[in-house]
Amino acid sequence: MEGGKSLNRMKNRRKFIILTLVLTLAILVGIFENQNQQASYSKKYLAPRVLYWGSQGEDVKKVQWRLVQWKYLVGEVDGIYGPETYRAVRRFQEKNGLKVDGVVGPETAAALGITLSEAQPASATGLNRQSDEYLLARCIHGEARGEPYIGKVAVAAVVLNRVEHPDFPNTIAGVIYQPLAFTAVADGQINLTPNKDAIRAARDALNGWDPTYGALYYWNPATATSKWIWTRKVTLKIGKHWFGV
Amino acid sequence: MDRENRRWWIAPSILGLALILAIAWGYREYTMRRQLEVTLENNYQRLFFDVKKHVENVQTNLSKAMVANSREQNVLLLSQIMNEAYFAEDKLAQLPVPQSDIAKTQKFLNQAADYSFYLIRTHLDGKPLTNEQRGQLANLQENSAAFNSELSKLQSQLAEKNFVIGSLSNRQTARVEKGNENIFQTTLVDIDKNMAKVPRLIYDGPFADEMIDRKPVGLTGENVSRERAMNIAKEFFGANKVKKINSFEEGEHIDEVAIPSYNFSLQPTNATNDLSVYIGVSRKGGHVIWMRNPRPIGQEKITIEQAQKRAIQFLESKGFKNMEPNYYQKYDGGVLFNFVLTEENVTIYPDLIKVKVALDNGEIVAFDAAQYYSYHHNRNIKQPQLSLEEAKNKLREDFEVNSSRLAIIPKGKDEVMCYEFKGRYMNGEFIIYVNADNGKEEDVLQLVIDENGTLTF
Repeated sequence: MEGGKSLNRMKNRRKFIILTLVLTLAILVGIFENQNQQASYSKKYLAPRVLYWGSQGEDVKKVQWRLVQWKYLVGEVDGIYGPETYRAVRRFQEKNGLKVDGVVGPETAAALGITLSEAQPASATGLNRQSDEYLLARCIHGEARGEPYIGKVAVAAVVLNRVEHPDFPNTIAGVIYQPLAFTAVADGQINLTPNKDAIRAARDALNGWDPTYGALYYWNPATATSKWIWTRKVTLKIGKHWFGV
Repeated sequence: MDRENRRWWIAPSILGLALILAIAWGYREYTMRRQLEVTLENNYQRLFFDVKKHVENVQTNLSKAMVANSREQNVLLLSQIMNEAYFAEDKLAQLPVPQSDIAKTQKFLNQAADYSFYLIRTHLDGKPLTNEQRGQLANLQENSAAFNSELSKLQSQLAEKNFVIGSLSNRQTARVEKGNENIFQTTLVDIDKNMAKVPRLIYDGPFADEMIDRKPVGLTGENVSRERAMNIAKEFFGANKVKKINSFEEGEHIDEVAIPSYNFSLQPTNATNDLSVYIGVSRKGGHVIWMRNPRPIGQEKITIEQAQKRAIQFLESKGFKNMEPNYYQKYDGGVLFNFVLTEENVTIYPDLIKVKVALDNGEIVAFDAAQYYSYHHNRNIKQPQLSLEEAKNKLREDFEVNSSRLAIIPKGKDEVMCYEFKGRYMNGEFIIYVNADNGKEEDVLQLVIDENGTLTF
């Protein structure tokens, strides 16, 4: 009896030790895993060169060519990222366990076995309108997703009007990332992938359409928390937003 | 006995493990949070110290510029002031304070930089500083000195109280404000209030008050009623194609925008879904300022040349004669053309209208004349003082000219007549503007050409 009991106890102890070891390992793995996630999380904050709905050019041709080759895309290789290409990219991403967003970033490009060219004509180095366009589109998507099309362009126009105004920073990124300026920046919604409406709205705004005639502020009267914003002069109401100077 | 013993083990060990797990996880979260907080705070502190340093440099350089007598020295000092002021502005805007608390300070810094640039230009034109300009410099110096001393005070206060700038961006701000212990924000607000009293800088530059407040000169005619504007909008799109028209609600201060307007969304009869077409009509004169039809565009069926013809026809039907296409850009299934007015063989760039043509059926999907109505007026076009050949001699010898013509371009709040030379240098395409009266090089633009169109930078 005595011997059996101590044997049992030893067995128990061994079980306990094994269990503890396994769990500690699990915790360690969990922490390690977590750190990995951290790394990929911070990757999301960088906006690398990407192709998306409406992109055009040689890089799009490369992508389309691969997609046709691998039978994800039936159609022409025309260098225009339209609905067909979009759907094909999504199918490809789904099959290959990538984030399904219909945007060709570095990861999808790598899976496709291509590199997105960074090279610009020698005389045009440093000129990159596309990055402004994408950042503006992300801002629109975060701030005005549910708004009518004109409301999206209006939000982008406010950003551009601020860039031109002495009271505000002088770059698009400076205006968008000014602390406490946009709620979508504060809560991280700006990092969502913009949809094609947001991208089109960004292009329209960059091409000069300003439906607000120079507004510098907008707010949603239902959710605005700042008392100060009510001192602004309202000039126009589009969708849920009020615009003002 | 044994079985009971075994059971007695299970619950506490699981609980114990869960506790260890929770503690480990919590500790990790805590250290990570600490790490992020410290990193953020270090960044904020750095920004604050930088702002302080840049403002100090602005101030000292301004004092030097007032003493310096040689033009070369002044140009050097002014370019430093410009840089330092822009740096200060850029960094100030990254601190976690509401924009409304630092708006006037930002304006002060932007204008100080902009004004310095303006003075550099006048220096390079060979003009000495006027008394008025010296006065304005003295004023800037005084204000930046006051700004600098406030920042110095703030700096020592912050050090004394070990203030954490990062706490401003947390939700605790309300609590901090209540105790009125938030010296950081209150000092910045005080500075901003003083900045609001700074007299207007009178000069010519993009951030000058006069540029911001300028009114459109191209709107002619009497004010129109909403009903009249609604009819204008319908006719513009084609009255028979409109199913329904709605008006956007304006705020009570609509008169304070650059072009006070009525805005409409109208539903075309052939629209399959509820996509609207948007039109803005000015109150003064009832002009259509912009129109946008955001419908999706199908397969490309017409060429860019055909699209351009459509656009010209469209403009003529709306009463815009002598509009010449200058640049185009192809995107989202359409082509956007930039049209500018030509008068007596002079291209007038400020009078710009943009027209976008859908490449599936040639429909006009966008029209934007906001700039045209802002700048269009009757110009008294004079004969240029220089001949084309004389102007051409002002260019670099190795600049290969492909085409040339007379053009009017905006310059600050004025316009200047120039000879426009398009050509190549090294591997780039450029446009160079040479003043048609005094031969000065007014502007250089670089053309970026790709398969989607041509854009100027």
